[in-house]
Amino acid sequence: METCLTLLQPKIISLKHRLERPGRGSLFKLLILTSLAVAFWVLTFWAFQRVLLYFRSVELFGDLLASKLMSMMLLTFFSILLFSNIISSLSTFFLAEDLNLFLSRPVSPDRLYYARLAETLTHSSWMVLLFGLPVFLAYGSAYRVSFSYYLILTWALIPFLIIPAALGTLFSLILVNIFPARRTKDILFLLSIFFAISLYFLLRFLQPERLVNPESFAGLVEYITALNTPSSPFLPSFWASESLLPFYQDHQANCGFFIGLLWSTAGAMCVFGNWVFRAIYFDGWTKSQEARRARLTQTPLVNGLFDFCTRPFSLRVRALALKDFKSFFRDTTQWSQLILLTALVVVYLYNFRVLPLDKSPLPTSFLQNLISFLNMGLAGFVISAVSGRFVFPAVSLEGFSFWIIRSSPMPPRSFLWSKFWTSLIPLLILAEILIILSNTLLQVTPFMMVLSSVTIFFVTFGIVGLGVGMGAVYPRFKVENAAQIVSGFGGAFYMILSMIFIGMVVILEAWPVHTLLMAELHRRALSYFEWAGIIISFLGVAILNGMAVIIPMRMGIRNITEMDF
Amino acid sequence: MIELWQLNKKFGNFHAVRDVTLKILPGELFGFLGPNGAGKTTTIRMMVGLMKPTSGRVLLYGKDVLREPEEAKAILGFIPDRPYLYEKLTGLEFLEFVADLHGLDSGNHRRKRIAELLEFFDLEGWSRELVESYSHGMRQRLILAAAIVHRPKALIVDEPMVGLDPKGARLVKRLFLDLAKTGVAIFMSTHILEVAEEMCQRIGIINEGRMIALGTMQELREKAQSADDKLEPLFLKLTGEEGIRSLVEDFRR
Repeated sequence: METCLTLLQPKIISLKHRLERPGRGSLFKLLILTSLAVAFWVLTFWAFQRVLLYFRSVELFGDLLASKLMSMMLLTFFSILLFSNIISSLSTFFLAEDLNLFLSRPVSPDRLYYARLAETLTHSSWMVLLFGLPVFLAYGSAYRVSFSYYLILTWALIPFLIIPAALGTLFSLILVNIFPARRTKDILFLLSIFFAISLYFLLRFLQPERLVNPESFAGLVEYITALNTPSSPFLPSFWASESLLPFYQDHQANCGFFIGLLWSTAGAMCVFGNWVFRAIYFDGWTKSQEARRARLTQTPLVNGLFDFCTRPFSLRVRALALKDFKSFFRDTTQWSQLILLTALVVVYLYNFRVLPLDKSPLPTSFLQNLISFLNMGLAGFVISAVSGRFVFPAVSLEGFSFWIIRSSPMPPRSFLWSKFWTSLIPLLILAEILIILSNTLLQVTPFMMVLSSVTIFFVTFGIVGLGVGMGAVYPRFKVENAAQIVSGFGGAFYMILSMIFIGMVVILEAWPVHTLLMAELHRRALSYFEWAGIIISFLGVAILNGMAVIIPMRMGIRNITEMDF
Repeated sequence: MIELWQLNKKFGNFHAVRDVTLKILPGELFGFLGPNGAGKTTTIRMMVGLMKPTSGRVLLYGKDVLREPEEAKAILGFIPDRPYLYEKLTGLEFLEFVADLHGLDSGNHRRKRIAELLEFFDLEGWSRELVESYSHGMRQRLILAAAIVHRPKALIVDEPMVGLDPKGARLVKRLFLDLAKTGVAIFMSTHILEVAEEMCQRIGIINEGRMIALGTMQELREKAQSADDKLEPLFLKLTGEEGIRSLVEDFRR
């Protein structure tokens, strides 16, 4: 145990140092994250408590529903844990930088296995604990359980987390011996994206908004009772659920037996995992040193197509764009985000299709145009979130290789504008798709269609200008994961500025759009005063957009010109 | 020609580089030596435009790196100490990218130049593999190829031999001597004293940010008031680290 702790020391000490010496913006980030976590906990606890109290009031099958819900949840947690442990163990056992250090020292395989298992367990399980704890506490509160519930819960949760960690590690040990680690990680990463998307679609297309409609509620209860959860007696989630069952039902389950099963399985899995580790780890580690090849993006057809698309730009801009394009499509963690983005667009548009406009007391045509107007802001927020993920990191993603650009004759101005144009084009396409399709689904007037298409066109310029510019003012060259880049102080600042910018555009356009629509509705002509106000408002929007592009871009250019690299 | 005029760099209160003044003529191979943390890399980063000097100027063939960066960098080749590259590009694509950055026209001439460099640095078999699969030495050779793809007039090199095998090191030595013969001004920082001694016409030694010695081997000998033929004892004497020698002797015993 002590020797395992020695191997974990660097991580523990690094964490301690990070907490003791927070960097720029860390306090702000910590505050935001803590507030979000507390809000999430309170909301989850409250919602589950309400649901469970309702279940308790349902005679005959209320308690059954509560235990079914618990068993479904534990099964979901177990699947998520297993999946995240496989992904995490690939990194901790095969791809981590410090493995070179440990493998070249007299470290016994047992120590290495258990230390890495503990690290994998921590990486994968904290999120499930964060999500699960308010739910378990809500159960305790709704059923007014004794203190022994919390003891049993803790006693059941520990092996419940260890089992998928040991099992996940075992899977990755075998997988890496079949495929190289980097390839395995790519495949699993893609699978996890599909897993997340399926869950997202499932939740969305179940139309949870029907819950507020009491007419359909009887059907829902029937649905839940009819739902036959796959509660196989061989699954650890079943054992954990059974050990907690006596607290929710008048059911004499053998608590000790199931806890014993959980602990003995966890122990056995660890020992078995260690045997397999000793037998095949080094072969897998050797294989994981192999690198992958690039195929698709080396084909003449793809190169020719790209060459054609970037023809209007200068040689340097094209070179940079080509480099970014290839790097993006050769990195699974990057391009696979496009799948998530597609899912986001589909669900976004689906929401417009199912809008119950006919049930509103307001006139449908008015509501259509009102929603279409608000949709400009909403689409703007979506674009700024996407920009936060793809555009803000554009400069930071150059990483330590930025010396190549800085020591080349390419001026910082060309570099940053190149990033601007190459980011703008795909975002413009996305923004127009969102606006035109949602407006078509809403069947808005031609005036609203033109207005929102033109507005989002220019707003996208502003968002991209803010993203590229702020990304250059607050670059994070040391961060390897693109998704983490926007989570820094600069990223938070960009998101806030971006929201303010979109809000201001919506406010500036609100009055003129309302005036124009009302005039059309009441079939009256506009006065000179109204026309002047409308022109001034739209002029304000144009100036605001110009400022959102020019100011951050100038600041960004100045920063990358003067910064020490 | 590479010129440094009263170059200074401060990080807060720490004076990393103090009043460094130098002139390297076309065709000259200049060795830049100094102990760890002496200010070598900081000086080099200012010379190539990666860092802004607190004061002073760097001129490459009369072009100020700070005021006319495009013109200055167009004639510059730079080889850094750590070979950070774009991992997701192939070696060939990386050379094409650098050629584009320097505005080299795409055509037969450029293709031929890149093919020659890949062959010279023994990388033609790896040219279509991603850089992430390259060894340290291969990356170093790719950076060397990228540094000269546009035929620079000034070459600034930080630790060129790190990670190279004996064949690669020999290749680099031959390349630098050949380039110097064609009139390229080469500024080379190195820790390998034998390399500096063997290749460089003049040597500069920096310590605690100051240039403490500058000249040919003969001039350094005179400055150190030493009869030693080799550079190592001179270097240790000039940088005040002569005690290290006796420590090493003790350790051997």
